[in-house]
Amino acid sequence: MFTELNSILNTSPDSFTRGEFILVSDRQSDASFLIHHFLSFYLRARCKVCFLGLAQSFCHYSAVSQRLGVSLTQAKEKGQLVFFEGLKECLSVLTPKENNVESEAMNFLRDPPVGLRSLYEFVRSSVIGSGSMEEGAEQWGPSVLLVDDLSVLLSLGVDVGAVLDFSHYCRALVCSQVQGNMVMLVRCNGEEDDDDDDDDDDDGDVGSDVLLKGLTHQCNLNLHVQGLPTGYCKDIHGQMEVCWKRRQSDAPHMQKNLFQYKVYDKGASFFARGTSSAVL
Amino acid sequence: MLSELLQGIESGGFLIIRDSCRYSGRDLLKSFITAALNREEVIHILCFDVSEEELKDGLKPSDTQRLHIHNAYSDPLGWTGHPNFTVQQFSLEDLTNLVKQTSQPKPAVLVIDSLSWILRHKTPPAVCQTLQQLRKGGAVRAVIGLLHTDMHQRGTVGSVCHLATSLISVAPGVKGKEAVARVTKRTKSGKVMQDEGIFCIAEDFTVTILSKPSHAEHKTNSTEEEQTDPTANLTFNLRLSDSELEAKQKLTLPFVFSKEKKTALLHPGPGSGRILYEPDAYDDYDQEDPDDDLDV
Repeated sequence: MFTELNSILNTSPDSFTRGEFILVSDRQSDASFLIHHFLSFYLRARCKVCFLGLAQSFCHYSAVSQRLGVSLTQAKEKGQLVFFEGLKECLSVLTPKENNVESEAMNFLRDPPVGLRSLYEFVRSSVIGSGSMEEGAEQWGPSVLLVDDLSVLLSLGVDVGAVLDFSHYCRALVCSQVQGNMVMLVRCNGEEDDDDDDDDDDDGDVGSDVLLKGLTHQCNLNLHVQGLPTGYCKDIHGQMEVCWKRRQSDAPHMQKNLFQYKVYDKGASFFARGTSSAVL
Repeated sequence: MLSELLQGIESGGFLIIRDSCRYSGRDLLKSFITAALNREEVIHILCFDVSEEELKDGLKPSDTQRLHIHNAYSDPLGWTGHPNFTVQQFSLEDLTNLVKQTSQPKPAVLVIDSLSWILRHKTPPAVCQTLQQLRKGGAVRAVIGLLHTDMHQRGTVGSVCHLATSLISVAPGVKGKEAVARVTKRTKSGKVMQDEGIFCIAEDFTVTILSKPSHAEHKTNSTEEEQTDPTANLTFNLRLSDSELEAKQKLTLPFVFSKEKKTALLHPGPGSGRILYEPDAYDDYDQEDPDDDLDV
C-alpha cells in the first residue's frame, strides 16, 4: 500500500468511499504496480477480495504483496481472498485431464463468441456466495473485485463488446448491488489519436482504445499511467493522471490532477510535476 | 438556442446530446429532465448506463410520480434470468406497451440513457428504424437520447444523428465548471440553424448560459490592443516629436550599401585618402580585376 497515493486519493483502509469503480489504465507503460497497491490496500481494510489474476501467476502476486506487508496465502486460507489464477485455469481448459475438474469460467477460450457470462457467474458466486458461511468464520467488510487485466481477454479473442458487457455486469453487481468497490486494469499499446479515423490495419490497438473509452465512461475514478512525454528518465518512471468523475458531494464536473511517480522496491512515491527529489 | 431547447421540444422532436470521455453529457440530460418535470410533463427513462439511484440523484423527489424509470441497468442482456428490461425489448411494440402501462392522459417524453448501449447490441439500421417509428407513432411525444460519440464509428454516429431534429455536442470548457455546447437545430421546413455557447450547470440542474465563445474572443483581442501601449506610464520619454521623426527617417544606416555610398566609394572626392601602390619585383601585379565587381 502506497501511503502517498492514499493521501492523493484521500482514502485510507479505515475510510474509503464505497460503490466506486476505479479504472487503472496505461498507455505504452506498466501500471500493474497500482494493482498491487489496491490489493494490499483492500486486504488491509479487511474487505472480502475477489481477484481475477489473468496476467500473472499466484506466486508473483504473493511475492510482491509480501514486500508490501500482506500475505496472500494467509488471506486465502482465512477465506478473505478468492484468487482466480487465469494462467492455470486456461491450461485446464486447453489440455483437459481425467482428474481435473474443469472450471466453467474460462470456457470462452474454446468459443470466444460465447462471451464472458461464465466468468461473470464465477465473480457472482464468489461475491454473493459468501452469504452462507461456516460457523466461526470471520466477518469481512464490503466485497471488492480486482481484475488484472482486461486487455488479456481481448488478446484471447474476446470481443470488445463482450468485455464491456462483462464490466457493466460486474459494476451492477459489485458497485450498485453489494456497494463494494471494483478496480480494473486496462492496457493500451498504440499512440493516442485525437481524430475519429478508424485504422483498419491496427485492429488490436483500436479494440483496446474503444475498450478504454467505454470503461472511462463507466468509471468513477481513472488513474492513467503514461511515460514522460520528454522521454526516459532514471529518477522519474512516468506520470499518472488522476481523473475524478461523478463526485456527488462536489459540483458535477470533472477534476484532473497530474503527478509523477517513481517505483521502489517496497513502494512508490508520487510527487507534483517538477518536484522530484532528484531535481530539488 | 440551448435555452430554447430547454424550454420545450416540439412534438415529434428527437434531441441527441453527444458527449465524449472528456466531458459527460449526463448532467445536461438531467437538466432537460428537470426542465420537463417543471413543465408538468410525463417522462419515461430507459436507464442502461447508470443505476436508477445515480440517475435520480439530484432530481427533486416531489416530481417522481410523473417520472418513470425503467431499470435496464441491472440486467440488460437477461443473464440473471429475471430481467426488468432488456436491450432486445427496444422495439416499437415493446416500448409502446411500456409507455402505455402507466396510463397517463398526455403522451410522454422518452429519455434514453444511453443510445450507445443499444447501438452496441443492435444494428444501427434497426435502432434508426425504431427511433423513427417512435417519433411518428404517437405513443411518445418526443425522444431525448444521450450518445457517446467516441464509442462508435463515425458512420454509425452520423446515421443516428441524421434522424435528430436537434443536436447538442458538449465539450469541456476552458475553466473548470464551464462547458461548450454546439447546438444544431433542424426545423420542419428544412432550415438548419447552428449556435455555440458556454454554459454551466448548477447543483439543482439549472443551466446558466454564459457568454458565447467566438464573440468573447474578439472582444478580448480588441481591448488588449487598446490597452497595451508600452510608451505610456514611464519615468522617461520614449516618444518622438515630429522633427525627431523626420530626422530618424532621413538617417542612413552605416552598413547599408545604398547608391550614394557606392558612388562615394568609387569616385573619391578631394581630401579623401588615396592609395599609391608600387609593386615589388616579386609581386604579381595583375591589371585585370579577377572579381570583376568594380564598376569603373
